Amino acid sequence: MELGDVIYNKTEYVETASGNKVSRQTILSGSQNIILQGKVIVQSEAIIRGDLANVKTGRYCVISKEAVLRPPYKKFSKGVAFFPLSIGDHVFIGEKTLINAAQIGNYVHIGKNCIIVMVFNMRKDLENLEEFLKASSYDSINHLSPIKTLFLKYVMYWELCYMVYILVQGRRAILRDCCVIEDNTVLAPETVVPPFTRYGGSPGIQIGELPECQADLMIDYTRSYYQHFLPSKSA
Amino acid sequence: MPIYEPLTSEKVAVVLDIGSAFTKFGFTSEFAPRNIIRSQVRCKNTNTIRRLYDFQSAEDLYDLLVEFIHTIFFKYALISPKDRPVVIVESLLCPTLFRESLAKVLFLQYEVSSILVLPSHLVCLASLAVDTALVVDVGYKEAVVIPVGFGLPIVQTWQALPLGGEAIHKNIQVLFNNTSTGAQNLSEEVLEDIKVRCCFVTKKSRADQLALPRSDLIPVPDIKYSHRGSQTLTVNGKIREKAFEILYEEDNDHFCLSTMILDAMLLVDRDLRNILAENLVLTGGTCMTPGFKARLKEELLKQLSNDRYRKLNVKQFKFHSMPCKENYASWLGGALYGATEFLGMKSVTKEFYLKEKHLPDWINLKDVESARFGSDVTSARA
Amino acid sequence: MSYITGPEYVRYACTCGLLKSLPNLYFCRHCSQLRCGFCVCPEVDSIFCGKCSENIPSAEAKVKKNKCANCLICPSCQQDLSTRIASKGVVNPDDSKSPAKKTYYLSCYFCGWNSRDVGIPDQTSPTGGWPERENVHSNRLQELLDSYKQIMLSQKQQKENDKKKKFGKFVSYTDRTGITASALRKRIGIPDIPHAMLRKPKLPESSTATTEVEELPDKFFTQEIDLLEVTTIEQRLLQPESQPVTVDKLFPAHKQLSIKKSLRCRHCERNVSKPEYNPNSIKFKIQLFAYYHIPEVRLVKVGDLKRGQPCEIIIKFTNPTQHQTTITILNLDLAEQERYVEEQQMMDISENLEVLSLQFKQPTSLPSLPGSQPSSLLSLPPRQPHLTIKSRKIKQTVNSTVEIPQSVFILPPRDDAAEYDDSNDTHNIEDDSNLVIWRKSNKVCIKLLVNIHEGETIGEEVFCGFTMDHVYTNIIAANFENKQPQKLNHKVRIFLNLGKM
Repeated sequence: MELGDVIYNKTEYVETASGNKVSRQTILSGSQNIILQGKVIVQSEAIIRGDLANVKTGRYCVISKEAVLRPPYKKFSKGVAFFPLSIGDHVFIGEKTLINAAQIGNYVHIGKNCIIVMVFNMRKDLENLEEFLKASSYDSINHLSPIKTLFLKYVMYWELCYMVYILVQGRRAILRDCCVIEDNTVLAPETVVPPFTRYGGSPGIQIGELPECQADLMIDYTRSYYQHFLPSKSA
Repeated sequence: MPIYEPLTSEKVAVVLDIGSAFTKFGFTSEFAPRNIIRSQVRCKNTNTIRRLYDFQSAEDLYDLLVEFIHTIFFKYALISPKDRPVVIVESLLCPTLFRESLAKVLFLQYEVSSILVLPSHLVCLASLAVDTALVVDVGYKEAVVIPVGFGLPIVQTWQALPLGGEAIHKNIQVLFNNTSTGAQNLSEEVLEDIKVRCCFVTKKSRADQLALPRSDLIPVPDIKYSHRGSQTLTVNGKIREKAFEILYEEDNDHFCLSTMILDAMLLVDRDLRNILAENLVLTGGTCMTPGFKARLKEELLKQLSNDRYRKLNVKQFKFHSMPCKENYASWLGGALYGATEFLGMKSVTKEFYLKEKHLPDWINLKDVESARFGSDVTSARA
Repeated sequence: MSYITGPEYVRYACTCGLLKSLPNLYFCRHCSQLRCGFCVCPEVDSIFCGKCSENIPSAEAKVKKNKCANCLICPSCQQDLSTRIASKGVVNPDDSKSPAKKTYYLSCYFCGWNSRDVGIPDQTSPTGGWPERENVHSNRLQELLDSYKQIMLSQKQQKENDKKKKFGKFVSYTDRTGITASALRKRIGIPDIPHAMLRKPKLPESSTATTEVEELPDKFFTQEIDLLEVTTIEQRLLQPESQPVTVDKLFPAHKQLSIKKSLRCRHCERNVSKPEYNPNSIKFKIQLFAYYHIPEVRLVKVGDLKRGQPCEIIIKFTNPTQHQTTITILNLDLAEQERYVEEQQMMDISENLEVLSLQFKQPTSLPSLPGSQPSSLLSLPPRQPHLTIKSRKIKQTVNSTVEIPQSVFILPPRDDAAEYDDSNDTHNIEDDSNLVIWRKSNKVCIKLLVNIHEGETIGEEVFCGFTMDHVYTNIIAANFENKQPQKLNHKVRIFLNLGKM
């Protein structure tokens, strides 16, 4: 099926010289550490934590609504160190996904509500995590102004990450080129996702293989996503 | 395969035991299967998991098997199947459609060089080095009893009942429905997990009391089973104890697991009966439940007092204990058989298959000549 | 983008009759035919560990039982285990300068399992030395295996001996004179040792059955069970040899290796896909994927699906090749495909008969007609008749028909530079404006009318299909013989799922 046009409010988005389209409704902390290589779309309410370490994306990346990109960290005896997060070309990151990986290769597709390198200490109930996410869907705080809500969400996300960080020192996962992470996947820390694999479930395991021309499919997908991401004409 | 593979190394054969719930896979001359995986594949069109035995048509089964054998070779065995021998361990009661489809997949789709088909009831004795025994295989779909006498399965006395893991799962669901805990329509995985982690085969004395409408039995402690993360399910003591009772509840024809064994003994030669009774071998995953063997012995002894079996003249039952886990006992037999020259001597080659277009089978009169599978190893010893 | 996530709306019929989406198909340039995963022969190309991304030679993989020597997985949740530094106790408390001694233990970041839980001592090196467990029965089984091997070997030798005996009565000179080695031995007074062949192999000791069986321990009736202490069936089966029942017996397992596979066309034995050796590389040495050779068809828009009135659909064609192609839309002729399949089956049967008759005839014809032999040898195939997968009938039924347009249209070659070219490309192609509604570089959108068959109920999925005839430019012939690229018409049946009525 051909992609349909996605119309955005022209006033909401900033378009840079290199073709990046970034929503104003995002939190890009430490923006001097964030490098978007060009033709990258960052949609509203996304959070990129450049203040922790460098975040670099390749060309033609899509960072969907409410996605969170946090650089990975490692606990040492003298404290915590954050490592840069690098993302390759033609990467799609779905809505409400939390990325804590060290490296994401080229042509990677990550679905909605994924947690890449999530850490949890409950041995028995991995589903608790889903409950937590459901509980934090912030339905009760709708009366607040959008930007306040966003900040609240941000705090909650940050709390979630912080809690995780206290419990176990999480570390980097590596997503190699050409892999697909299905919706609602929770990937364990230090997981390495090899090329041409499809991961899913909680904990994420390999559930399938990808066709050999996946790279070209992703190129086509991210390009046409960019081409169909158009400003509204009225504005 | 790359050229630098040592020339001296023989091509080790893959040994496959495709059960209705789990498939045992490994290589010859190893003593444990590499993997025990579920006999299922992910259907690419619908993205659902499908069991191999839930096929709808011959073509459907062929497609499922192609997918399944692909995973075996390319996910676990990591070798190209082309021109390799394969050892298949299967029940003597395996449906013709299934074994023919499997042969077709292996020979035509994957171009294996030869297939050695071994009857599971016979080969599971290899690890015990006995040649006469009564083999009771309690698997997922059914329980099958076939006596083996001097290295030959006495097929005409076979006994089979649909008493296996599947029946137990259904029984657990029925028991849950009776307790009004709201646990309706539990998935097979959950039922299986409850069976494996909570249930056991109770003693006969307790089972008799449980069957009574009211008894002063101290119940077994309940278990809180957490289910789908947030929900908890109470698996009460009754369910835990009664799950396996289905094996010993006689049906309308007064058949159950214990009578099957005795009926098989009735059908064999008089002189053989006592030998069989003193050589009982239990295989199949369901036999691994705690208390299974002890209860079976109790039940057998009880049935002996029955008029039907008085003429058996059997006084006691002796059980063999395997040098392996029961669920892969047949596989181990296949691995031992496959490691000997037997592989070269008795397997069905690709050339033969292409000419005949079918696998020899004991049920097929045309193949009666070649149906003497397995007689050689043991007859050489006699 | 349905290729990556959603259901497949457009499916192509492979030569073998299966329907697949375009990315899952291959195009063998040598046979000029579509191939799918079903009709190619997969082979193991290289073996690697998905975690440490290292290639492992197949011989080593065999020894290591297809497991990575360094990477371990959690026995509880089967995720990768990490090595963690445990303590930094000083070796020599008196000498404060001595280097701190580090010990390591394994831990799972996902479920929290660690190697101390099960009493595995901490190790001094981070990479290994983790204790492996032996199969407790291996001695007995090895003994059994050895004796079985001997039995079968002697049986085989005996069989061969039996065959030999038929030839001569006396095998050697001494046999004829009667002075055999055995007779000599007797005369000298050395005890006779039987011939190696005649010696019966030692039988393995059979196991004995007992009346005592393992009784159910009484704790089952009284003790509360903590489910967290009992392993699940998956955890048990991860360790087939021991199949631990309680979690305190779970030991880390080695990670299963993965492979890269190459694919070979069954018909011509040539590769259609061969990956590069490096496990992280996503490049291919040979890549004959249909996605690079066959025009891609994509649904753009589907009008209202109503019975009795034609529905307008817009589909987009993309030319992935470097050559211009012309596309003709033809009728979906399922009957023709069925005929083709049946013909093949007939051919198959007749071939078999031929083979059989050859086998019967040859012995009789050989002595009488020696002259004919060379020619018959030449006519015989050089090796085994090749096993091709039988085509099957296309299962998909269509419940609507496409109105076949009268005109054809041209798809210009792919031009990677066109992306950066903002000027409207003028290909000067005269299009039938009734058919082509949009065109840009190598992409064309066309409009088709679909009539839903009578008798279809509301809510049913509508399928339609057509045959796409495109000009395929084959360049391998040109490479070999310096000829002009070969052009041929290639037909593919395409099925569209238009959604529910």
